[in-house]
Amino acid sequence: MEYVYHIGVVISLYVILSVSFNITIGLAGLFALAHASFYAFGAYAAAILSVKLGIGFPLSMLVGIVGAGVVGMIIALPALRVGGHYLVIITLAFQAIVTDFLRNANGLTGGPDGLAGVEPINLFGADLTTPGDFLPLAVFFAVLVYLIGQRLERSPFGRALRAMREDESAVQSVGKNPVAFKLLAFAVSGGLAAIAGSLFAHYVSYVGPHSFTVEETILILTMVILGGIGNLTGSVVGAIILVLLPEALKLLSLPPITADMLRGCIYGAMLIVILRFRPQGLLPERHSIPKIADSLRAELKAVGKTVFDIAKVAASGPTLVGKGLHKRFGGIVAVDDATITLKAGRVTGLIGPNGAGKTTAFNLLTGFISTNSGEVTFRDESIGGLRPHEIVSSGIARSFQDLRLFRSMTVLENVLVALPHQAGDKLLNVFFRPRLVRHQEAENLLKAEAVLAYVGLREKAMERADNLSYAEEKLLVIARLVATGAEVLLLDEPLSGLDPTTLEQILPSIRRLAEEGRTVCLIEHNLDVIQKVCDYAFYLDEGRVLAEGPPNELMQDPELQGRYFR
Amino acid sequence: MELLLPLFLNGVVNGAHYALLAMGFGMIFATTGVVHFAYGPVYAVAAYLTWWSVTVLSLPFLVAMGVGIVGCAVVGMASYVLLYRWFLRNDSPPFIILVVSLGLLMLITNLIGVAFGTNAKTVNDVTYGFYFIGSAVVTGVQLWQVLALVVVGLGLAAFMKWTAYGSYIRAMQDNMLMAKIVGINTERVSLVVFGIGSGISGIAASLILVKEGALPHMGFLAVFYAFLAAVVGGLGSLPGAVAGGLILGLVESLGVWRVSSDWQTTIAFGVLFIVLIWRPTGLWKGY
Amino acid sequence: MFTKAIKGLTCAVVGTILAAGTPATAEDTIKIGGIFSMSGTAPYYGQVMSQGAQLAIDEINAEGGVDGRKLELVIEDHKSGNTQAAVTGMNRLINVVGVKAVLSSFSGPTAAIAPISQDRGIFTLNGGGVSPKMIGVSDHMFHNRSMALDLALASVAYAVESGHKRIAQIAIKSEFGDSAIAAAIEAAERAGVEIVASEQFANDATNIDAQIAKIRAARPDVVLNWATTPQAGIAVKRLRDIQVNVPVQSMEWTSEDFAIAGDHSENIFVVTDYFSASEENEWGKHFHDAYVARHGDDPDFYAANYYEAIYVIAELISRAHDAKGKDFASADLTEQLWADNSFKSVYGGTMKFRDNGVVIKRVALLEVKDGKTEFVRFIEAAAD
Repeated sequence: MEYVYHIGVVISLYVILSVSFNITIGLAGLFALAHASFYAFGAYAAAILSVKLGIGFPLSMLVGIVGAGVVGMIIALPALRVGGHYLVIITLAFQAIVTDFLRNANGLTGGPDGLAGVEPINLFGADLTTPGDFLPLAVFFAVLVYLIGQRLERSPFGRALRAMREDESAVQSVGKNPVAFKLLAFAVSGGLAAIAGSLFAHYVSYVGPHSFTVEETILILTMVILGGIGNLTGSVVGAIILVLLPEALKLLSLPPITADMLRGCIYGAMLIVILRFRPQGLLPERHSIPKIADSLRAELKAVGKTVFDIAKVAASGPTLVGKGLHKRFGGIVAVDDATITLKAGRVTGLIGPNGAGKTTAFNLLTGFISTNSGEVTFRDESIGGLRPHEIVSSGIARSFQDLRLFRSMTVLENVLVALPHQAGDKLLNVFFRPRLVRHQEAENLLKAEAVLAYVGLREKAMERADNLSYAEEKLLVIARLVATGAEVLLLDEPLSGLDPTTLEQILPSIRRLAEEGRTVCLIEHNLDVIQKVCDYAFYLDEGRVLAEGPPNELMQDPELQGRYFR
Repeated sequence: MELLLPLFLNGVVNGAHYALLAMGFGMIFATTGVVHFAYGPVYAVAAYLTWWSVTVLSLPFLVAMGVGIVGCAVVGMASYVLLYRWFLRNDSPPFIILVVSLGLLMLITNLIGVAFGTNAKTVNDVTYGFYFIGSAVVTGVQLWQVLALVVVGLGLAAFMKWTAYGSYIRAMQDNMLMAKIVGINTERVSLVVFGIGSGISGIAASLILVKEGALPHMGFLAVFYAFLAAVVGGLGSLPGAVAGGLILGLVESLGVWRVSSDWQTTIAFGVLFIVLIWRPTGLWKGY
Repeated sequence: MFTKAIKGLTCAVVGTILAAGTPATAEDTIKIGGIFSMSGTAPYYGQVMSQGAQLAIDEINAEGGVDGRKLELVIEDHKSGNTQAAVTGMNRLINVVGVKAVLSSFSGPTAAIAPISQDRGIFTLNGGGVSPKMIGVSDHMFHNRSMALDLALASVAYAVESGHKRIAQIAIKSEFGDSAIAAAIEAAERAGVEIVASEQFANDATNIDAQIAKIRAARPDVVLNWATTPQAGIAVKRLRDIQVNVPVQSMEWTSEDFAIAGDHSENIFVVTDYFSASEENEWGKHFHDAYVARHGDDPDFYAANYYEAIYVIAELISRAHDAKGKDFASADLTEQLWADNSFKSVYGGTMKFRDNGVVIKRVALLEVKDGKTEFVRFIEAAAD
C-alpha cells in the first residue's frame, strides 16, 4: 500500500504545481515557462534551512513561499514588457539559469550532489516519514492550494486577470493597472508552487538539481494544457492523469532495454491524440458568476443601492483641455499644435478626413501616448505623467476604434470588470476580508445589471461577448465605458459601420450620457450623424485644428467640405 | 591572447552552428506561427540517417549527408501535414500547438532511441585536417560549419529575394491574413517552409555527427539554442538569426575566458536574458 | 478520521487504476529491484548495468536458482538522475513488486532512496554512484564501487610516478566530477605537482570547445579525464582534434568511447576499478566471454559491478535461507553481510566491505592500444 500512498503524495505535489501554474498561464495568459524554478526554490529553501540551520517545517515552508513569491516578481519583469513567444523563451532561459545555478553554487546548494538529510516534518510529536503518514498532509495542502486558486479565480481579481489576458490596453482603459496584476499573479503562483517544493524536500529528505529542470516545467505545463487551460479542476485532472499514466504504462510488459523509451513514445503520442480530439483540454474554461441571494438583493434594494448612481457627475464648464498638443512619430508630424477643449454636458465631435490625426489626438488626451509638447489638463490640473489607468481613475475613460471587448468573457463580466474601486481587486481583501468582497460584489452585480439595462443589453447579460451582433458589441463598449464611472468619456468611432435602424437605437444613449452631465467626445466620419449627435465639433486635418464650432456651421464652410470629400 | 584567440574562433564556429539552426527554426516560426519544438529531434533524425547511410549503406559521406538532409526535410514536412496543419486549420490557440509540438518531441526522441539504440553514433571514416590560425587550431569540420553558414545564408537570402516562393514567404511573415486574401496558397508555402527549415537543420546535424557524434537526446538543447538565437536576433530576420547565433556562440565561449567553465551556461543564458529584457523582440526586425 | 478517509480514497482511486493490470506473481521467485538510468541523457548506463545484472541472474537461474528459488530482476527508470522518479521506483519495488534487495545507480538517486532503505530495512547495493553523500544514511546500503576519492588519488599517483609536472583535468559538472576534481587538487598539492587547469562542462552541453581550449592554453603534460561515457570519448577526440597530444589518464574508457574517439584512441591510460579479464582471473574471463557472446560488446566495469552485485546478493540470500528460512526479511541480508564481509570479486581475488559500507577494490592501470584496453598492473593508492 505504501506505493499507492506514495503515488498519492506525488499526485498531491503535482496538483499543487499545476493549479499554481494555471494561475499565470491560464488566468493571466502569461506563458512564463519557469515554474520548476519556484518548485526548486521551495525545495531548496526547506533543504538549506533544515540541513544548514536546523530550521524545520512550517517555518521552512513559509520562507520558501515568500522567497518564491519574490522570485515570481522577478520573472514578472520581462512579462511586463513582452508576451507570447518572447516570454516563453526568456523564461525558458531563466529556468536554465536556475538549474545551472543549483548545479554550480556548491557552497549553498550542495552543487550536483544536492543536499541530503533534510529532516522530516514533525506533526503532533510524530515524524512523517512513510508515504502513508505523509499523504494526509500532502492532500491537505493540495486541497488548500486548490481552494486558494479557486477563490482567486472567482474573485474580482481573477476576473481582472482574465480580462488582462484578453486585452491589456482595454484593461488599462477601464482603470486597472496591469503591472500590479502581473506582479501579484506571478507572486501568488510562485509562492503556491513553493509549497510543493517544501513538501517534496521534507518528504524525500533529499534535493538535487535534476528534479527541477526545464523538463519538469514542461511536464507541469502539459498537465495544465491537458486538463484545460484556465480551468483549475482541469489542472487537478491533468496532474492525476500524467502521474498515473507512466505508472500504468509500467504494467505493459515491454522489452526491458527499450521499455522506458517505448513508454516515452506512448506518452508523447497520447498527448498529441488527446489534444487532437480535445483541443481545449479535457475540461474547458468555465465562467461562473456568483449568485446574489434574494435576501441580499432585497436588502440592497431597501437601502436604494440598485440604481446606478450618476447624480454626482453633474457639472458644467470646460473639463478636459488639450493645449498646443504636438506629436511626432519619427519624421511624421501626427498632431501639430492642436488645442481642444471639452465641456461638460455636451457631445463634442472630432471630425476630419482619414489620417487627420484624430485618433492620435484621442490617445494624447487620454494619456495612452505622451505629447512632444503641449499639455493636457483636467479641471485645470495637468494629467501629464499619469499612467493610463490613473487617468481613468481620475475620471477620464476612452473606448477603442477596434472595440477591444473581453471577447471570451460574458457581457456581464465585461461590465463588472470596468466598475471602479473594487475591494476584490486587492488580493489581500480577497483572502482576508471575504465578507467585504462578497458584499461589494453583490452590489456591483446589481450596478452592472443597471448599466446593461441603461444601454439595452440586459437580456444579453450571460452571453459571451463574441456571440454578440456588431451593434450589440458597440453598445457593450458604451456600457463598459459608463461602468467606469468616469465623467469624461471619449469614444473612438462608436457609430461607424452601423445600419440606420441601429443607429437610431444608439444615438439617444449617447445623447443621454451628455444630458446627465458627462463630458462626451467622439470621433465620427458620417456628417449626418455628427450633425444629429454633436453639440460642437473640432475639424482636424494634417494634425491641425482647422476650425471649431457647431457642426452645421462647420459643414457650411466650402473649404472644409472640399477637404473632407477630396 | 593565447586563450582569447581560440575562444573567439570557437565562438564563431559554434555560433555558425547555432545560426544555421536559428535560421531554420526562425523561418518556420515566423512564417507559420508554429513553435516547432520537434525541430530538435527532427534535426537528430538527420544525424542518424547520415550515420546509417555511411555505416550501413556504405555511401560516401557527401551522399549520406544528402540522404540525411532530404530525410530530415521529409520528416519536417510530414510533421506539418500530419499534425500541425489540422491545428492551424482549426485556429487552435498557439500554446496548444506548442504543447502538441512537445508531444512530438518526446515521441520522435524516444523513437530514435528505440530504432537506433542509445549509444553514441559516430562516423570515423570521415577524415579532416587541422589548421593553425596564429596559436589556435581549427579543424576541417569547424571550417565546414562556418562555410555551411555562409553558403546556406547567402542561398536562403537569394531564395527569399528572387524566387516566387521567397516572396510568398515574406508576405506570410508580414501578414498572414493579407497573404491569404491575395491568393497565396499558404498551406503549400508552409509545407515548403517546413521542408527548407528542417533541411537546413539537417546540414548542421550531419556536421555535428562528424564533430562529436549523435545521441538520441541531441535535439533538445539544439532547438532550445535555435529558439534563443532566433529570438535574440529577431524572429523571422535572416541577418538576425545569423547575428543571434554568433552572439550566442561568442558569449558562451568568451564568457569563460576569466571565469571557471562550470559557469558557462549561467553566463551565456544570463547575458542573453539581459539582452532580451533590454530588447525583448530581438535586435533585428523581421520582414 | 481525515487520515483514514484520505488513505482510503487514494487507495480506491489509484489502486483500481493501477491494480487493473498488475501481473499475477508466478511461482516462488525472489525479486531483485534495479533502479537504473534507462532513458534521458545517459541511458548507456542503464543498458550495461541491466545487462550485467541480467546475465548473472540468468546464470544463477540456469543452475537451478538459489536453493531452488529463481531470481527475477525488476527494473525502474530514474531517467538519468531524476530523484523523484527514483523514489517512486523504490516505493514501487518495495510495495508492489516486493523485492528482497535493490540495485541502485547514480549518486543523486541513490542518496534519495537511502532514507527509504533505512526506514524499510531494504538491502541496497550501489555499483555506480560515487558521491560521499550516499554514505552513512542507511545501515542497509552498500557500494561495490570505489569512490571518486580513491580513483583520484590513484590517478594522481600514477601521473606523478610517470614524471608529469603540469596536470590538467576535465570533468562533467556532476557529483562525481566535483569530488574527483577536489580530490585530485588535494592529492597533487601533497605530491608537489601543479594542477594547471580544472575544467567542467554540463553533461548535456552542446559543445566543450571552450573547456578544451582552456586546457590547451594551460600547456599541461598530462590530462586527467574524469568524464564518463560518452563524454570521455568526446573529450579525447576534441583534445586530439586541436593537437593536444599529451597522455590522457581517463577514469573510464568504454566501447562507446572507442567508437567516438576512433583513431584518436591512443596514448590513453585508464586508471579505474576496471576489472581485467586476464587468464589468472578465471571468473572475470568467464564473465567477459559470456557477456561478449550475448551482447557483442566487451563488458565495461559497470556491467561487471552489477554482475558481481547479483552474485553478492545471491550469496547473502543463500545465507539468509540457512539462518531464517524462506521468509527472511531484506534486512537479514545486511546481517548476513556483516557475518562475513569478504566476497569473491569478478575483478579477481576477494573484495571486502569497509565499515562505511564501501568496498575496497584494487585500482587498475590499463593502457589503450590498438583499439583495445590492456591491463598493465594494479596501483596501490586507496584512501583508506
